[in-house]
Amino acid sequence: MDVLLNEEEEMVKNAAREFLGGECPPSLARAMEVDDLGYPPELWSQMAQLGWLGMSLPESLGGQGLPLTYLGIIMEEVGRAIAPVPFHSTMVAALTIAADGSQEQKQSVLPRVCQGDTVLTWALTERDPRFLPETIATEAVEQGDNFVISGTKMFVDNFGAAEKCLVVCRTASASDGDQGISLFLVDTGSAGISNVPLTAIARDKQSQVIFDNVSVPRSNLIGQINQGWPVVQAMIDRATVLLCAQMVGATRKDAEMGIEYAKNRAAFGRPIGSFQSIQHLCADMILWVDGAQLLTYEALWKMDQGLPSSIEISQAKSFCNDKCEAVVRSSQVIHGGIGFMMEFDLHLWFRRVTSWTMRLGTSFEHRSKIAKALLDQPGRVRLGMNLEPVP
Amino acid sequence: MEFAYTAEQQALRDEVQRFIQENVNEDVRSEIENTDEMSQGPLVRDLRKKVAAKGWVGISWPKEYGGQDGSRIDQYIVEEEFSRIGVGVGGAGSGAPAILAAGTEEQKKTLLPGLISGEITLALGFTEPQAGADLASLQCRAVRDGDDFVINGQKMYTSSAHYASHIYLMARTDPDAPKHRGISIFIFPMDTPGITVRPLWTIQNDPPAPIGTTYGQRRTNETFFEDVRVPATCMLGEENQGWYVGAMGLNLDRVGASRYLISVRRDEDIINWAKDNDLGGHDVSQDPAIRDRLAELWIEAQVCRLMTMRSMSLMERGDTFTYEGAAEKVWAPEHGVRTTETISQILGPYAQLMSTSEEAIEHGLFAHNLLGSFQSGINHGSVQVMRDQIARRGLGLPRG
Ligand SMILES: Cc1cc2nc3c(=O)[nH]c(=O)nc-3n(C[C@H](O)[C@H](O)[C@H](O)COP(=O)(O)OP(=O)(O)OC[C@H]3O[C@@H](n4cnc5c(N)ncnc54)[C@H](O)[C@@H]3O)c2cc1C
Repeated sequence: MDVLLNEEEEMVKNAAREFLGGECPPSLARAMEVDDLGYPPELWSQMAQLGWLGMSLPESLGGQGLPLTYLGIIMEEVGRAIAPVPFHSTMVAALTIAADGSQEQKQSVLPRVCQGDTVLTWALTERDPRFLPETIATEAVEQGDNFVISGTKMFVDNFGAAEKCLVVCRTASASDGDQGISLFLVDTGSAGISNVPLTAIARDKQSQVIFDNVSVPRSNLIGQINQGWPVVQAMIDRATVLLCAQMVGATRKDAEMGIEYAKNRAAFGRPIGSFQSIQHLCADMILWVDGAQLLTYEALWKMDQGLPSSIEISQAKSFCNDKCEAVVRSSQVIHGGIGFMMEFDLHLWFRRVTSWTMRLGTSFEHRSKIAKALLDQPGRVRLGMNLEPVP
Repeated sequence: MEFAYTAEQQALRDEVQRFIQENVNEDVRSEIENTDEMSQGPLVRDLRKKVAAKGWVGISWPKEYGGQDGSRIDQYIVEEEFSRIGVGVGGAGSGAPAILAAGTEEQKKTLLPGLISGEITLALGFTEPQAGADLASLQCRAVRDGDDFVINGQKMYTSSAHYASHIYLMARTDPDAPKHRGISIFIFPMDTPGITVRPLWTIQNDPPAPIGTTYGQRRTNETFFEDVRVPATCMLGEENQGWYVGAMGLNLDRVGASRYLISVRRDEDIINWAKDNDLGGHDVSQDPAIRDRLAELWIEAQVCRLMTMRSMSLMERGDTFTYEGAAEKVWAPEHGVRTTETISQILGPYAQLMSTSEEAIEHGLFAHNLLGSFQSGINHGSVQVMRDQIARRGLGLPRG
C-alpha cells in the first residue's frame, strides 16, 4: 500500500508537465477552439515521438506497453495544460482495439496510432444519453460480406479529425444471452456519413454524426457479433477513468490559478488571500481536488491490475463531477469579474471542466450503480473491501 | 502507486482477525461495552497485554524501546482491526510521537515500553479554560526551583485524567517571551501531590452511549495543579520549545486508524442496517433519494480512507506532511457529521431514541452519534484552525 506516485511515475509526470508547459500555452487552446481541424498536427507528432500515444499500447505494435496508470498520469497533464489534442478519443478507441480487436485490426491501426499518423474516435451515445444497451438504436444490417449502418450518434469527439471511428450498433434485439450489440470500426470518410458540429460550452470538437446506409466490411467487426456490450462496457470504463484523470489535472491547475490570484489581488488594503473566508475556500478546493485525484488513481490502478474497477470508476466520476465543478466555480468566484471576461484565460479551464462533468455519466447514474452494489446484494459492507458491481 | 495491501500485510490482517475471534469472547465484549472506553476493566487489560506480547503495539517504533522497527502500514492494520471492536491498542495519542522525536534516552527507555505494555497511559493536558483553539495562549505556569519545576494552573477536558498513570502537560515557562516561545512540555505521574481531577460529563453520557459512538464513552475532566513539584528531568524537549514538540505530536496524531474510523463507521452501519431491516415494512434501502445519498456518502467515506492511506504512505516513506494531516482532519469529521445527520433523516423519529429505549435502533447508536459527531471537528485542531493551516502552510496564503 503506497498511494503516492513512485519515482518512475513522478518522472513521467514531471517530463510531461515540462514539455506541455513549453509547447502548449493557453493561447494554443484558444486558437484551436476556432480551428477547423481543432488540433495542431505538429504537437500531435511530438506527442507520438515522446511515446505518449503508444504509452499503454503493446510493444509488439510499436507501443511502450506501460501500465495504464502511466497513461493516466499523462492524461492528467494533458488536462492540466488543456492541450487541444484528440488524445482522449484516440486512446479510448486504440485501447479498445488493443483489448478486443483481431490481430489484423490491431496491426492495421495501432502502429499508426503510436506513430501519430492517425486520429481515432468512438461513437456510442444516442438520443437517450444513459450508458445502457437499450439506448442503442443505430442499426447494422448484414448484407453479404458487409454490414450497413443507419442511425444518429451524439456527442462524438473529434469526428472531423478522426480517420476511423468505433461505432456501437444494434445487430439484434436483446435476448437472454446477450444484448444484441456489436461494435464496428468505420472509416469516417465512408459514403453516407454526415457530421454536424455541436456548439458546447467547452468549444471543443463534438459532433452529431448521422449514418445513412453506411457500408462496412464484416472484417471491421470488433469482437463477436451481438456480443459487443461487454466490449463497449470496458470501453466506457476506460473512457471514464481517463476523463477523470484529465479533469483532475485541469481542475488542480485551475485551483492553483485561483490561489495565486488570491495572493496578489488586494481589497480593503490587503491581499484577498489573507481573508479567512477566502483561505478556507482555497483549503476546500485543495481537499476536493485531492479527493478526486486519489479516487481516480485507485480506479486506474485497479483497472490496470485487471481487478474489478467499475465501482471505483463510478466513485471517481461522481466525485469529480461534483467536486471539480465546485473547484472551478470557486476559482471563478475568487477571480471576481475578471474571470468572467473572454480575454482572461481562466475560463478556458472552467468551460472544459464544466463540460466534462456532464460527459460519461452523471453523478446520479454513477451513484445509482454504487447504491446497487451497496444495497442490492447480500453480505455486510466494510470500507476497504472490494465491492462487486450488480448488473 | 500501489492501492493494495501486500500478501504479508493481508496475512497480518487475517492473523489479527483470527486473534480477535479467539480472544474476544462474550465476556470481553460485554466488558468493552459496559465500561468507559478508555478505562477498561481487567479482561481488556489482559487482552491488551496479549496484544503487546504479539508485538502488535507500536510496530513502527524502534526495537530498543519495545517496538518492532516495523512498518507504519502494519501498525495501521492492527489498529484498524482493534478500533473496530472498540479497543484502543496503539498510537498512545500524541504523546508517544513527541517522546520518540524529542525525548532523552532516559525518557524513551522509561516511558515507551510502558506505553506499549499499557502500564503507562497518558492524559493529555493541553487545553485550558481560556486556551482552546488558540492553545498557545495557555497560562498554566511552570516555575523553575533548583532541580525542580513547580506547576500551578488549570487544564480543561483532560479526558483520561481519572485513570491515566501520567499526564502529558503543556505549561508556560517564560511568560515574557512571545506566546509560542515560552511553552514547555512535561510528563509526570498523576499521583504527584497537588493534582485534583474533577469530572465533567458530556451530553452523550446519560444514558451511556453505545460503544463506537463518536466521542461517546468519554467522561472528561478538569484538572487542577496546585504547587505540583516535579523534577526538571520530566521536561520533554528543550525548555521553551514545547510548542513545537507538542504541535509535531498533535500533527501526527490527527491521522490513523481510530480517527479515520470514528468518521466513517456510521456509513457502514446504516448501509448494513438498511440491508437487513425495515421500518414497519418500509424498506428504506429501496427509496431512490436515500440510495443516491448513501452512495454519495460512501464515496466521501472512500476519500476519508484514501486520505488516511496517503498519510500512512507519507509516514512509511519517512516524509512529513505539510497539509495532508490537516486535510484529513477537516474532511473526515465533516463527513462524519454529514452521514450522521443524513441517518437522522433516513430513520426519522427512531433516530432520536437513546440507548435505554427498547425501541431504539442499534441501541441508540445513531441518536448518541448525533450528539457528538461534530465534536471530532473541534478537538485536536478544529476544522477552522485546520483550514487555516492548509491555506497558510500548505498553500502559502498570507496571514490576516
Ligand atoms: C470530549 C472532549 C474531550 C477532550 N479531550 C481533551 C484532552 O484530553 N486534552 C486536551 O488538552 N483537550 C481536550 N479537549 C479540548 C479540545 O481540544 C478543545 O475543545 C478544542 O481545542 C477547542 O477549544 P475550545 O473548546 O476552548 O473552543 P474555542 O477555542 O473557544 O473555539 C470555539 C470555536 O471558535 C473557533 N475558532 C477559534 N479560533 C478560530 C480562528 N482563528 N478562526 C476561526 N474560528 C476559530 C473554533 O474552531 C471553535 O469552533 C477535549 C474536548 C472535548 C469536548
